Amino acid sequence: MTLPQNATSLPHTVTDAPFDPEAIYHYTDAQKALFEASQLRLMWWKFRRHKPALVSAIFLGLLYMSILVSEVLAPYNLHSRHSDSIYAPPQSLHLFHNGELRAPFVYGYDFKLNMENLKREYVPNTEKIQTIRWFCSGDDYDFWGVIPATFHIACPAEGGSLFLLGTDRLGRDVLSRIIYGARISLTIGLLGVGVSLVLGIVIGGMAGYYGGLFDVISQRLIEVIQSIPSIPLWLALAAILPITWSPIFVYFGITVILGLLDWTGLARTVRSKLLALREEDYVSAAQVMGASSFRIVSRHLIPGFASHLIATATIAIPTMILGETTLSFLGLGLRAPITSWGVLLTEAQNINAVALYPWLLWPVLPVILVVLAYNFLGDGLRDAADPYK
Amino acid sequence: MRYFAALTILFMSFATMASASEAPLLADLVSSGKLPPVAERLPEVPRVMQIDESTQRTPGKQGGTIRMLMADPKDIRMVTVYGYARLVGYNSSLELQPDILLSYENDRYRVFTLHLRPGHKWSDGSPFTAEDFRFQWEDILTDPDMDRGGLDAVFLAGGKPPKFEVIDPLTVRYTWETPNPLFLPALAGTRPLDIYSASAYLKQFHAKYADPDKLAAEVAKEKVKDWQSLQIRMARSYRPENPDLPTLQPWVNLTAPPSNRFVFQRNPYYHRVDQNGVQLPYVDELVMNIAESSIIPAKTGSGESDLQERYLSFTDYTFLKEGEDRNNYKVRLWTVGRGSAVALFPNLNTTDATWKEVFRDPRFRRAISLGIDRSQINQVLFSGLAKESASTVLPGSPLYRDELGAAYSQYDPDAANALLDEIGLKRSPNGTRLLPDGRPMDLIVESTGESSMEADVLELVTSDWKDLGIKVFTRTSQRDIFRSRVAAGSTLMSVWAGVDNGAPTADFSPQEFVPTDPYQLQWPMWGTYVSTHGTAGEKIDYPPAEKLVDLYQDWLLAETDADKRKIWGEILDINAQEVFSIGIVTATLVPVVISNNLMNVPVEGISSFDPYGYFGVYEMDSFWMKNAAGGN
Repeated sequence: MTLPQNATSLPHTVTDAPFDPEAIYHYTDAQKALFEASQLRLMWWKFRRHKPALVSAIFLGLLYMSILVSEVLAPYNLHSRHSDSIYAPPQSLHLFHNGELRAPFVYGYDFKLNMENLKREYVPNTEKIQTIRWFCSGDDYDFWGVIPATFHIACPAEGGSLFLLGTDRLGRDVLSRIIYGARISLTIGLLGVGVSLVLGIVIGGMAGYYGGLFDVISQRLIEVIQSIPSIPLWLALAAILPITWSPIFVYFGITVILGLLDWTGLARTVRSKLLALREEDYVSAAQVMGASSFRIVSRHLIPGFASHLIATATIAIPTMILGETTLSFLGLGLRAPITSWGVLLTEAQNINAVALYPWLLWPVLPVILVVLAYNFLGDGLRDAADPYK
Repeated sequence: MRYFAALTILFMSFATMASASEAPLLADLVSSGKLPPVAERLPEVPRVMQIDESTQRTPGKQGGTIRMLMADPKDIRMVTVYGYARLVGYNSSLELQPDILLSYENDRYRVFTLHLRPGHKWSDGSPFTAEDFRFQWEDILTDPDMDRGGLDAVFLAGGKPPKFEVIDPLTVRYTWETPNPLFLPALAGTRPLDIYSASAYLKQFHAKYADPDKLAAEVAKEKVKDWQSLQIRMARSYRPENPDLPTLQPWVNLTAPPSNRFVFQRNPYYHRVDQNGVQLPYVDELVMNIAESSIIPAKTGSGESDLQERYLSFTDYTFLKEGEDRNNYKVRLWTVGRGSAVALFPNLNTTDATWKEVFRDPRFRRAISLGIDRSQINQVLFSGLAKESASTVLPGSPLYRDELGAAYSQYDPDAANALLDEIGLKRSPNGTRLLPDGRPMDLIVESTGESSMEADVLELVTSDWKDLGIKVFTRTSQRDIFRSRVAAGSTLMSVWAGVDNGAPTADFSPQEFVPTDPYQLQWPMWGTYVSTHGTAGEKIDYPPAEKLVDLYQDWLLAETDADKRKIWGEILDINAQEVFSIGIVTATLVPVVISNNLMNVPVEGISSFDPYGYFGVYEMDSFWMKNAAGGN
C-alpha cells in the first residue's frame, strides 16, 4: 500500500515517562504471586486448604519415616518369644503408684495356668513395679538386616516385661510386630503401583496420541493380558519363585509381575482421555507451533488429566495393602515368618481371638487408618490437581 | 452252637416285652398298620447290647434329636462312620465281634464263612440275604461290564482273588489259597470294604436285570454317562447321598443333596437292641447342619450342637469351656488316636542326590531328632498336656514299649551336634553347616498349611535346628500338589501327622510302618514299588527298609497271634532305631462338646478315624436324650 501524494505523516510523540502496566488495574502482591505461580505451587496452595488431606499426608509421612527405624522403635525383636508370657493381655502404662508420680512404668504379671479351662491367667501385681528404660540396650537385632545392634528407644525393665498391646500365642509382643509389620505393609504396594502407573501412562499415552497400528496392537495386547485369570497366575508364580529367596523378595517379585499385568486398565483410561484431548484447539495450536509429540503429551495433555492419575495411584496403594491381607488369607500372599499387618490379622482370624484375646486384633487399627489416610490424601490431591475447578 | 441257643432263649424272653416299647417316632405308623410292630421288624436273633453299669452306661429311652455341625455336604458320610454298623466290628477295646453277622468262622485266615441273622431286613423292609453278597461280588465287583479296574487290593492274597460261594440263603464263604489277614479288619473298617449291597433295590439300575428302556430313562433323568455311573451313584452307601437306598445303618438319610441341613431318621429294622429289648438307636433323629468350618467352634460354643468333635481343635478348648454353663453342655478332652500329632518326614527318595545321601545316614536322622526341644513345644502349644515322643504307636496300644517312645526323643543338642560333626558336616563361618558338595544346609520343609499348629511347631523347630547349623525354610502348597510333589521326590522333608492308627493290636496291619504305599512321605518311591509289585517306583536299596518289607510279608503269612506280635515288635524297633519319621508330640487332646441332655457319651475316649470311627466304637446308637422334648 502506498500513501496518497499530498499526505503528511501524522504527528506522534514518544513519552519518556515509565510505563506502568498496572496503571488501570493495580494487582496486589498476592495476586501477582498467584498469576505467576507454577502449576505445582498452585496445587500446593489448593492442597493446603484441604485440612483432612494435610493431616493424612503428615500422618503417612510419619509412618513412612518410622519404617526406617522400626528396629529402634520396637521394644522387642520381631521374633523374640516369651514362653512364660503366652497370650498375655496388654500391660497398661502407669505414672502414679500409690498416688505418687513416678517415671512411666508397668505392673508385672503373676501368671497362673487355670487347669479347669486351660486359660492362661495374668494378674497385674502392684508390688512388681517395672520402670520403663529409655534409650537403652535391649533385645539384639540386625539393623536393616545388616548391622547388629541392641539400641532401643524404650525397653522393659531388667527382668521385666513391656507388652503394651499384649502377646500372641507364642508370647511375641504384638506392638513390636505391628511396628515391624508396617515396614512391609506400607511398602509392598508402592513398587507394583509404580510399575503399573509408568506402563499405563506410556503405553496408553502413545496409543491414544498416535493411534493407528500401535493403537491396534496395544489394544489387542491389553485384551489378551486382561483375559489371564490372576489367581491361578499367582499360584503358579508362588510355586516357581525359588523358596530360598527371602519371602519378601518372593512377594516383591510377585507384586512387580502383578504390576506388569495390572497396567491395562489405566492404559485404556489414558488412551481414551488422550483421544478426546488431542482434538482440542490448544493441541492443534501447539502442533502448528512445531512442538514435539513428547512435549505436547507431557506439557499439554498429561496435566489435563493429572487429577485422574493421582486419584488412581492413591487409591491403588490402599487397594494393594488390603489386597495383601486378602491374599495372605488365601494362602497366596505373605506368610509367617514374614510379618505384615495382613499376616498378623490372618493369625487373629478365629473365634478365640475375638472372644478371649481381643488384643490380637490391634493390627486392624493401622490398616484402617492408613487406608483412610490414603483416601483423604488422594481426595485432596485430586482436588488440587484438577485444572477445571 | 450253645451261644446261639442262649441268644435265642434270651430273645424269646424279651420278644414279648419289646413289642410294648415302640419308638415314639414310629408308634403312629405301627398303629395305623403302615409299619409292622417292632417284634416283626427285628431279626429273629437281634444283637443284644449290654447298656448298664457294667459298661458305665445307663439304659436309655427312645426319642429325641441330636444336632451336629459339619462343614461340607460330603460330611454326611460321618453318619456312616459314627453309626458303625459293620458285618464285624471293633468294640472300644478293639476286639473284633460279629455285628451285622450272627457269627463267622475264620479258618487260618484262608476260609471265612459268614452267617447272617435270620429275618434281618434292610431299612425298607426287604430281606437281607446271601443274594446281596452274590450281587455285589458277581454283578458289581467282578462284572467286567462295571469296568472297575480290578479288585481292591484287600481282596488279593498272594495276588489272587478269593473263591466266593453261597452255601445257603444265610451263609456265604470266601476262600483264599494263602492267608488274608486284611479281610476282617477291612470289613470292620471305618470306611468298610463293601461286600454286600441292597440287591433288590439296585437291580433296577443294572443292565443285567433292568428293563433296557426304563434303565435308559433313568440314565437320562439322572444326567449320567451310562448305566454303570448310574449304578455307582445310586449304590453309594458310605456317603449315603441317595435317600432311597436301603441301609443297615442305625440312621437313614432322608435328605437328597444339595442341602445345608440333612435329617437322618432311625432305621426301623435296625438289628441291635439293649438288654431290655428296646430297639436301638435310642435317638430318633440326627440333624446335620452345614456351616463354614471356621465358624463351627463359635456355633458350637453357642450351643448349636449336641455332639461335636469334628472341626474343633485344642486351641478352642478355653473358648468352649466359657460357654459350658450358659449353653448347657460339657467339654470333654479326648485323646487324638494318631501315632504322632505332628511329625517330620525326611524323604529318603528325594531327587537331590546330596541330600539323599545325608538323609540315608541314620546318624543324621537321629541327630535332628535329638535337636528338637519337644518339652518346649508341648508347653507352648499344648499347655504341657501332650506327651513328648518319637513317632511310634501310642502308649495305649498293647504293642507300646517305653523305649520306643523315648528313642532319640530327649532334647540333647550337644549329642546332636557331636553326631553331625562325626558325619563330617562342617560349619561355615556364619554357623550354617555345609552339605558334602559345599552348598549350605538350607532344608526346605513342605507343608500343606492346613493347620496353624504345624506352622507353630515348624517355627519352634526352626529355631532349635538353627543351633545345629541347619537353616529351615517352609514351603506351603495345596494338599494335592503337596502329595504329588512328595511322590515325585522333589521334596526334601515334609511335615504331617504320624500313623493314622496310633493304638493298633497285633491283628492290625503294620503297613504304615513299612514301605507299602505311594503316599508315605518318608519313602514314596519304595512305597510305589511295593504296592505296584515292582512295576513303578524305585527298588529298595536300603537294608533296614528291605528288612521291613520282609517282615511285613512274614506278618501277612503269620498264623498265630504270638508270631504277629513278634513281627510287630521288630518292625517298631527298626522304626525307632532308624528314625524314619521324626515324631514330636503325641497323645494330644481334642475337645468334644456334649450336651448335658445327651447321655452315655464316654468322658474319655480316643478320637481317631480308623479304626475307632470317632464315636463309632463307643456305640453312638446307645447315646440317648434325657429330655427328648426340649431341643436344647
